[in-house]
This record gives sequence, structure tokens and C-alpha cells, in this order.
Amino acid sequence: MITLRVVACYKYVLDEQDLRVNPGDRSLSTDRAAWKISDFDRNAIEEAVRIKEKHGAVVFALTAGPAGAKASLKDALARGSDEGFFIQEESLAGADPAVTAKILARAIKKIGSCDLVLCGEGASDDYAQQVGPRVAVHLGWPAVTYAGKILLEGGVLKAERKLDDGTELVELELPAVVTVTGDINVPRIPSIKQLIGAGKKPVQTLTLADLGIEPGRVASSLRSESVKGAVVERKRHIFKGDTVEAVSQLVTALVKEGAI
Amino acid sequence: MSFILKEDHELMRKTIREFAEKELAPRAREMDRTGEFPWDLVKKCAELNLMGITVAEKYGGVGGDLLTRAIAVEEVSRANATVGFTIGLSGQTECLEMLGTEEQKVKYLVPLAKGERIGGFCLTEPNAGSDASAVQTTAVRDGDSWVINGSKCFISNTGVSATYLVFAKTPNEPGVKGLSAFIIEKDTPGFTIGKLEEKMGFHASPTGELIFTDCRIPLENILGGMEKGLGKGMHVALKSLDLGRVCVASIANGIAQASLDAAVEYAKQRKTFGRPIAQHQQIAFYLAEMATRLEAARCLTYRAASLYDAGLRNGKEAAMAKYFAAETAVWCADRCIQIHGGYGYTKNFPAERFLRDARLLTIAEGTTEIQKMVISRYVIE
Repeated sequence: MITLRVVACYKYVLDEQDLRVNPGDRSLSTDRAAWKISDFDRNAIEEAVRIKEKHGAVVFALTAGPAGAKASLKDALARGSDEGFFIQEESLAGADPAVTAKILARAIKKIGSCDLVLCGEGASDDYAQQVGPRVAVHLGWPAVTYAGKILLEGGVLKAERKLDDGTELVELELPAVVTVTGDINVPRIPSIKQLIGAGKKPVQTLTLADLGIEPGRVASSLRSESVKGAVVERKRHIFKGDTVEAVSQLVTALVKEGAI
Repeated sequence: MSFILKEDHELMRKTIREFAEKELAPRAREMDRTGEFPWDLVKKCAELNLMGITVAEKYGGVGGDLLTRAIAVEEVSRANATVGFTIGLSGQTECLEMLGTEEQKVKYLVPLAKGERIGGFCLTEPNAGSDASAVQTTAVRDGDSWVINGSKCFISNTGVSATYLVFAKTPNEPGVKGLSAFIIEKDTPGFTIGKLEEKMGFHASPTGELIFTDCRIPLENILGGMEKGLGKGMHVALKSLDLGRVCVASIANGIAQASLDAAVEYAKQRKTFGRPIAQHQQIAFYLAEMATRLEAARCLTYRAASLYDAGLRNGKEAAMAKYFAAETAVWCADRCIQIHGGYGYTKNFPAERFLRDARLLTIAEGTTEIQKMVISRYVIE
């Protein structure tokens, strides 16, 4: 039996819970924010590990970023990945998804003979939902986005795509790139044994040169002007009168808003 | 010694915190109310290897260091002090690993380290607590058995333990002065569970009395075997404290952190005189002092753990950590109530539970006064 080779791509992001909006100019304060594996990417890693448990597979955890992001590999490996690949590139701190996808696709080719690439549907920070499909384009593989369920039978992948207006069932042959939603699974919390064991698993650190990419060719075409905290204005309606009357007014208002 | 945790330990903290907030915190209030032992949570903790962190892999543990355990116990206790107490205090596990024979380790240590069973550590008696040498329980050899007589009190995990490690005198053994430890299984004839205490806190952790009346156990159930174990119980019990006190300090740090978190949250949203009370200097200073004392307690605890992990003596530092962290937890929980005002005195907020739980920690595993005695001996020497 040929063992599947599955790559779980992930982004190391600032924990949005730790972000603070400065009251004056609404700029974001990130100095106290911890880093984490992006939420949906955790689902991608978990799904890869479930495939391993069910069908037998080698799971590669892959990420690209500045030197500080290497610390994330232990977390990814503790979650059940077998090997880590870290593409170290300082300029990636502000990279756009097009650049990230190009680098990840090259790394996937370098890992070699991969059958399946799993990504989160979008990152917890910018939620651009670009990397997965773009990686597929670079690899020349089909892409299945927003998968809420996947099944492997032989070399055939069946996926349920969770779309705004319904569920789409698709079937395709591997290799493929799949982006997963948060509904696909509940990521397990690693045990102490897995956390300790993660330090003993192999990690390869590669540079752009190792992937045959000239450093000058990763310049981002995306320019971030500024990032500000969103302000949601509350409607501040107060429904007065007795309870029956107030509830009736509330329901009418909610219907009018299209909320119910 | 580094004053900054390595990334491995930080990842450990982050992971355990996620587990504790998701699985353990939502149950803390209900456990305090019902007093039911949380078997399901113990099972979940076991799945994450929280019951055998420092036990060697070959005996069902994960061979982690004491610093890892300190961090894990702290994070679990922050969310749910009773579960922290259950995974943190495991004198029987420590004694079995230090002195147990190979057979005893395989039979009794492995299920404890894997969290399949709970164990009791039974030293305290009505007239012997801080003064452990006053133990009256006896073990007398009779053919191929030991016959145990006496009683124990304030024993943690009473009734839920599968095995009890009981410390007793052996008056008929010539030349043996010290106490010996005996492994007694729960359904052994002659062993009965007495009354369970109604305690101020830690309601879901049963504490009670054990009674032994001509309780016969096999000769090989002396911890460490006849040759190595006879008269060595007290020695191994004291040695286990180097680790146990770090764990109690960690439970205390968890409660202190929970108190600080709750106080900060409340102080930021509660308004008096037109502004959040956190902006009143007196309240802000309470918060500053809580945070500072907690940080000092944590530094002492991590240092005592790091010394242990480096194979160095940590008796003084473990006593300092236990003493200071326990008193800090009580103080922080008390300030937490004060900051909450009248609400802090009600069961609508967790502050009063923090204080009731914390209060045990200046007594259990050696009182504050005993810790000071230990520390003073080191200082005066």
C-alpha cells in the first residue's frame, strides 16, 4: 500500500483576542499579543492527522515566515504532524497571499510526491481566502474550497463544500488542494506527551534560495495603507411600555431589520 | 537560572490553559455546589497525561520535568482548583516511584501515572499531623502478613482512591525506628472508610477518615520491600515533599491568578463616582500589589522546580515557595472579594470560592508555620 503524503499548510498569526484598539486613532496595539496557529489552519492540521489515523499517511506541517515563526512548528508537530517544513524569509512578515502561495507551492514540490494539500479556508488575521486556491494554481492541481467534510476512497476524494446558498458535493482524483472550514472537525488539544515528543520530530528549515526563488521576486504587490479597529455603532433603540407592548415592538423592529 | 521560560514551557502553558478554560473552568462552580468528585474531568486530564507528568515513561508517565508540572498544575488550578488539587497532590505516586519495588511500580504506579486510578497518601492522624513522628498506627508481622491497626484523618481522595499508602510504626521489628509505608487496597477486610469531613472549600475533593482494625495485607505490600522499605517510610515521605510543596505552591499560584483575573475584569467594568473602579487609586494599587505578590510567588515556585530538575537540593526553596504562594493566594482571594464589594461576598461571583479554596493551602502539605520552621533551620545552619 502506498502511504499518502499529506501537507497541512498554516499561518502563524497574532491572537486577535490580544489585540487592543487605541482609543485615539483606532490604530491596533499588537505589542502584548501572543502568536498562534491560525484557527482554520488548526482544522487543516487536525483533518490531515485524522486522514493519517484512518488511511495511513505521512503528514507534513508547512509554514513560511520570518525567523520568529519557527517556534510554531512545535505546536504543529504536537498536533500530530510527522515532519515540519519551515520556509524562513524575513520579508514575509507583510507578504501578500500571492507571494505566500508561490513559496508554499515550491515547498510542496520540494517535499515531493504529495497527494493532498490542506489549508484553512482563510487566515484568522486577514481572512483573504487566497492562499489555498493560489497554491492549487501553482501546482496545477484542482482546488476544493470551503470543505466541511471530506472522505477518501481509493484515490478519490469526496468533499462537501459549505456555500452560502447550500452544500455542494464534489468528487475528484488526487492530487488536490482542499481548504477546510471550521466545521470540519474539532481540533484536539495535544497531550503533554505529544508536546514533549514534538521536540524530537524532524524540522527542515529552508530559504527561498533552497526553493529556487530569487529573493527579489517575492516583493509584495500589495501595500497596506493602515490597519484600524472597526467601530460598530449600536442602534440604541429602547422599547418602552409594558412587557407585551415592548416585546411586540422589538419583534416588529427585528423583522424590519431582516434579523428574523 | 533563566528568568524567562523557554518556548517549550510557554507552549505547554498555552496548551494546558486552552484545555483548562474549555473543559475545567465551566465546571468549577457546580463542583463546589454539589461536592461530586469529577471522574470525567480526571479522565480528560489523564488523556492529556496530566496525572503522570514527572513519572518516568516506563511507568506510565511522560518523563517531564517538575517545571512543566508546576505550570500545568497552575493553569489547571486557575480554571478549577479542585482538579488542580487532584492532579497536583500525588504523594503516593511520588513515594512509589522513589522507593517502590519493580513489582510495586508495575502494579500500583502505572495505573496512577496513567490516571486510571487515584491514590491516597495517609500520614496524618488525630494526634500526628505536623508532628509526623507521633504516628500511632501500627503494623505487626504475623506469618506472611502485616496486621495494621489504627486510624488516619484528613486524608485527601478518601473513598475515591483505589490504593492508600499508609504510614505506620513497626513496634515489633527490632532496631527499626522510623515509620514504614504500606500499600493497602480499598476493599481489604479490616479497612473501613470513616466519616467524610464537611470542609470550607475544595468540596469536590473528598477528605476523610480511614480506620484499620486487624487489617491484613501481604508482607510484600511494605513500600520498597522488606529490606529497603522497613523504617524508610518517613524518609521517603519527607523527600516527596520537595516535589509536593512545589505542586501546592502551583495550586496557590493558580488560585491567585484566577483572583487577579476576576478582580481586574470586575474593576474595569464596575463604575462608581462616574468611572470604572480600576481608575480609583486604591483599587488600582490593590491590583498592582496582587500582581506583584503573585509574580514573586511564581518566581519562587519556578526556582524551586528548576533546582529539582537540575538534580539540586530544593528543600529550602520548596518550603519558601509553598509558604509564600499559599499566603499570597489567600491574600489575593481576600482582595478579590474586597474589590467586588458586596457582590464578592455572594456566590454569584467566584471570589468567595477562591478564598475558601486558598485557605486550605496554608495548612495542607505542611502548614505555613512548619514551612517557616524548615526555612529557619536552613537559615540558622
